[in-house]
Parts: sequence; structure tokens; C-alpha cells
Amino acid sequence: MATPTFQIHYFSSATAYTGKQTESLPAPLPLSQLYDVLESKYPGIQEKVLSSCGVSLGEEYVDVNDCDGVVIAAGNEVAVIPPVSSG
Amino acid sequence: MASSDPIPAHLDPKTYPRHLTDEAQNIHLELTYTPLNPQAALDKISSPAAGANVLFLGTTRNTFEDRPVAQLSYTAYPPLTLKTLAGIARDAVAKHGLTGIAIAHRLGVVPIQEASIVIAVSSGHRRAAWRAGEEVLEIVKEKTEIWKREEFVDGGMEWRENRERDGDGNVVARK
Repeated sequence: MATPTFQIHYFSSATAYTGKQTESLPAPLPLSQLYDVLESKYPGIQEKVLSSCGVSLGEEYVDVNDCDGVVIAAGNEVAVIPPVSSG
Repeated sequence: MASSDPIPAHLDPKTYPRHLTDEAQNIHLELTYTPLNPQAALDKISSPAAGANVLFLGTTRNTFEDRPVAQLSYTAYPPLTLKTLAGIARDAVAKHGLTGIAIAHRLGVVPIQEASIVIAVSSGHRRAAWRAGEEVLEIVKEKTEIWKREEFVDGGMEWRENRERDGDGNVVARK
């Protein structure tokens, strides 16, 4: 019935750019295509935001530029992690 | 899941405070939306083997480059935040021989002059505790998945990046 999805969370500069704190996107999705999907939804985000961000998949950091064969499955949790500012 | 996107758990204050504790190493980590309690941090790190107890409070400053700041707001992603803090704490215990370490970070709105972070460390002798306290703070600011938004008196708001400033508040040249 419902389309399978994964959840993606945004923080700081990524929240500001997307206007969202979280959203669900269609799954499965090869991790290597994640930035292309986000770029098509939010033109310019790759250069202005994602280029300085990390990405986590299921609470582990992943390398979107070196992730052959890694697929984001339905129900997975992804987060875009911009430069941090605690303290 | 629902197609409308409800507030995720990590942004819902009702899911806090969140703790991660390692009693064997006397490590105490906390993320909370309520005011921090420095005395509680000191109580946690106390040890009969300790001769030195160092406490650091980071408090919210009322200006950014002379622009008046009304308040600050922090968000975290605990699945990563607590894991990163635990790694920093364990490394510090091993490197400096600490008898205890507590790191607590406040989330949500933090009014000016209130504490956003508490770090407390104890060790047998003073040098290790002084050094560990400073080192832990610097690594936390560099690595921990927490983000600060400054809300200005003039109505604007900006997300900060710690990589832009050093420990003196000076601008760091981008590599």
C-alpha cells in the first residue's frame, strides 16, 4: 500500500536550506545517488551545503563518494551532518 | 511511516534527558533540555582516589562580533552525539588516567549567561585534570554532533560552525 520510504534528518545549515528538519524519501535508494536526489529536490544544495557535510546511515558515518553497493533500505534512518557547533 | 512528518524523537524535549553511563570508568554523559547542574557533575566524578577536580562551564555570551544576541538554541542527534561523547570520554580516561569524567550539554533555548555545557574531570593529581579538562572541551567542540543557532536582538538568526573560531574567539583561516 504505502510506498516504502527511508527517513532523512537535517540539521543547522541543511535544515535552513531545505526548510525541513526531517522527511521521508522513497526507498530503496543506492547511497551513491543520495546527493543527486537531494540536488534535484533542492537545487544548489550540493555545492552550498552538502559539500561540507557528513552523512550517517543507521547511526554510522558513511562515505557517499565511496559506497559502491551500499543501498538505503526502507525503514533506514539517514542524517545529514553539517559542521558542528557545540559548547 | 506517516506521510506527514511528525517531529522526530531527537528534537522532542519529552524524549530527554538522555544519559550514557559507564560506571566502571566513572563516565557520565547527559543531553538535557533543562538547566545544567554543575554540582551534580562534580558529585558524579568524585572519587576517593582523586586529589583534583576540575569544572568547566561554557555559558552563552550576549554578542557575536558586537551584534547583540538575544538567545541561543542547540539541537543534537543523540544516536551520534552520545557515541561521539563516549569515545572522547574513554580516550580522556585512558590518556590522562582520570578517576571520573562528566560531560553534560543543554539543548533547546539557552538564555544568555546560562550554561550550555558542563565538563567535570577528576584525577589523582592536578596536572592531569587541568589538561584533560581543556583537551576534552576542545575535542567536544570539534567533533560532537550538536549545532548552535544564534538568535539576534535585531531578529536575524544564524547557525554557527566551531571550525570558524579558535579558543580565543579568533577567526580561523579556512584550509
